[in-house]
Amino acid sequence: MSSIKISNLRKVYGSTPAVDGFSLDVPSASVFGLLGPNGAGKTTTFKCMLGLARPSSGEILYDGKPLVPESFQRIAYVPERNVLYEWMTVDEHVEMNRRAFKAFEPARARELLSQFGVDPRKRASALSKGMRTAVMVACAFARNAEILVLDEPTSGLDPVNQRHVLSLIINEAAKGNSVIFSSHQIGQVERAAERIAVMDRGKAILSGVVDDLKADRKIVEGIFPDVNYSLDGIANDPRVARVDRTERILRLLVTAGADEIAARLSGLGATGIRVLDLNLEDIFLYAVSPKDATADIVTKEQSS
Amino acid sequence: MTYVEWLRIRNCLKVLAIILVILLALAIVLRVSVSRYMSPAQWVHHISLDPGTHVTNVTLPDGAKETILDNPGEQTHVTIDDHGNAGTHIVVTEPSSRAHKDKNNVTVGSIHVIETDHGKVTTTVIDTNGSVPMLYYMAIADFFALIVATILAAPLAREINGHLEMTLTKPISRLRYALGAIGVDVIGILAASVMTVVAFYICQLLFETPRLDFSGVNTRAILMGIACPLAWYAMLCAATTWLPRAYGALLGLIPLGLLFVGLLTLVPASNLVALFVHDVAWVISRLDPLTYVSVAAPNAEGTVNYSGANFGFRISMEALFFVAYGALALWRWQRVEA
Repeated sequence: MSSIKISNLRKVYGSTPAVDGFSLDVPSASVFGLLGPNGAGKTTTFKCMLGLARPSSGEILYDGKPLVPESFQRIAYVPERNVLYEWMTVDEHVEMNRRAFKAFEPARARELLSQFGVDPRKRASALSKGMRTAVMVACAFARNAEILVLDEPTSGLDPVNQRHVLSLIINEAAKGNSVIFSSHQIGQVERAAERIAVMDRGKAILSGVVDDLKADRKIVEGIFPDVNYSLDGIANDPRVARVDRTERILRLLVTAGADEIAARLSGLGATGIRVLDLNLEDIFLYAVSPKDATADIVTKEQSS
Repeated sequence: MTYVEWLRIRNCLKVLAIILVILLALAIVLRVSVSRYMSPAQWVHHISLDPGTHVTNVTLPDGAKETILDNPGEQTHVTIDDHGNAGTHIVVTEPSSRAHKDKNNVTVGSIHVIETDHGKVTTTVIDTNGSVPMLYYMAIADFFALIVATILAAPLAREINGHLEMTLTKPISRLRYALGAIGVDVIGILAASVMTVVAFYICQLLFETPRLDFSGVNTRAILMGIACPLAWYAMLCAATTWLPRAYGALLGLIPLGLLFVGLLTLVPASNLVALFVHDVAWVISRLDPLTYVSVAAPNAEGTVNYSGANFGFRISMEALFFVAYGALALWRWQRVEA
């Protein structure tokens, strides 16, 4: 049973902060999804977590203790990019892991490779992008690690193997291990993760339990008879996180009291009023879409 | 933890082994093609055809075959003791007027020739199986060891350039990893030297039984032969760890660059610019471990010595370079970020 705690992590390259005051808690036996657009700081966060990059400030603790080299006996990492040795065979990569990690199970690695359809006799240079990812994933999951840090572990994999990786991730949590992973496939994160954090420009702009985030957030949509309609202070309601206006259609992202706000819209003359549930992708897009994306969108400050 | 480095060495030594086997095969071809010249019997027979030559064959107590060629008319007396693979001892006595005018003691590999005048008669003693100066072996071994050292010399840069996420997430400290990788490479370089010496020993064995001499200057040759490739390796290791992106180009350019610098040190200081170029090149060349490798040459007494060399200083410089350049690489490695 292992947990990860990141407090106020900051990593600055030159004068540019890649991670800026980021904090998160990954409880034991859970799956944590880290979301964010490209350049949000997810990979840098992982690198800081694993000592690959030195944090400018902040603290990272595993079960309350800082990272030491021996910690890697129980932490497995799948990096975002291909780091396999091109000239080595897959079997040699398995052997390398066997020699490095006490709990590594070569038979398990070969079984996973077989499931991914990877020929272990091939050199890494002869593998496709997806197959290389599969090799890294197979080696990571064969390590019997208590903590898995997976940076886009499904990158390049076909849908069948993506689903397989998700099953492996969920299975790890079921075994009592902690998994933190990032992915651009938000549907996958929604399927596997209990908790998420959304990063943008180095900061966590949204975090929490997936089910809570989905339960709290609703879209209230109404259609007005005329383009020129008044919101009568609705935009300033603290429960309204965002207001999108597209001609006669008004969409409000609300964090609570959806029915009450729908009633207020009705009072303003809106028709066809609907209260919609959000999926994780909607929540993510609302969280990270630029505030001045179009002239039609009026954005309020995030209340998350 | 150093499995990858072992694999690299295995691949490198495999190529070296192929090259050495090819050289060995060539030596076998050469041995077969010159076999008829290898036995003294052929040319003894040729000489015996001269009118007035008496040939006597005896077997010595140690089993060696002794052939005595005596030609009183020509005042020539030749004794040939054929010890088989253990070599041949030949003593030629002839009039000084017919002998070589330059009386030199010559040592070429295992062959020693000593000529001495006794009035009107010159005695030439030829031993075909003298001790082999290790310098010859180490010169060849160093040639291959330096190539292997150059190939292996970027163990940390290779990791920095694409594998850090794998290397630095192993349960071992950065320092221990780097020391392990360098240690394994050192073993690989030494193995390359040993393989080369063994291969050339076998080559020589095809022709005669080599008598290796590990005393005196030969010990120094071995020490220098070991230290030089290691110092060279450490220098390249430090350079590539500091400039990891282009480590491949660096490994190719540094030897050429240092060769060029070495040539510039030979520029005669005929004017101010030439003096400046010479001095700058000289200073840079002091950082090159190869600068401190002294060249052995036979002296007037026929023994091999380091010409104009202060061996203690030179070997200390090689050791210092290995430690200093190695430390530089380790220092940089400690600060690398993915």
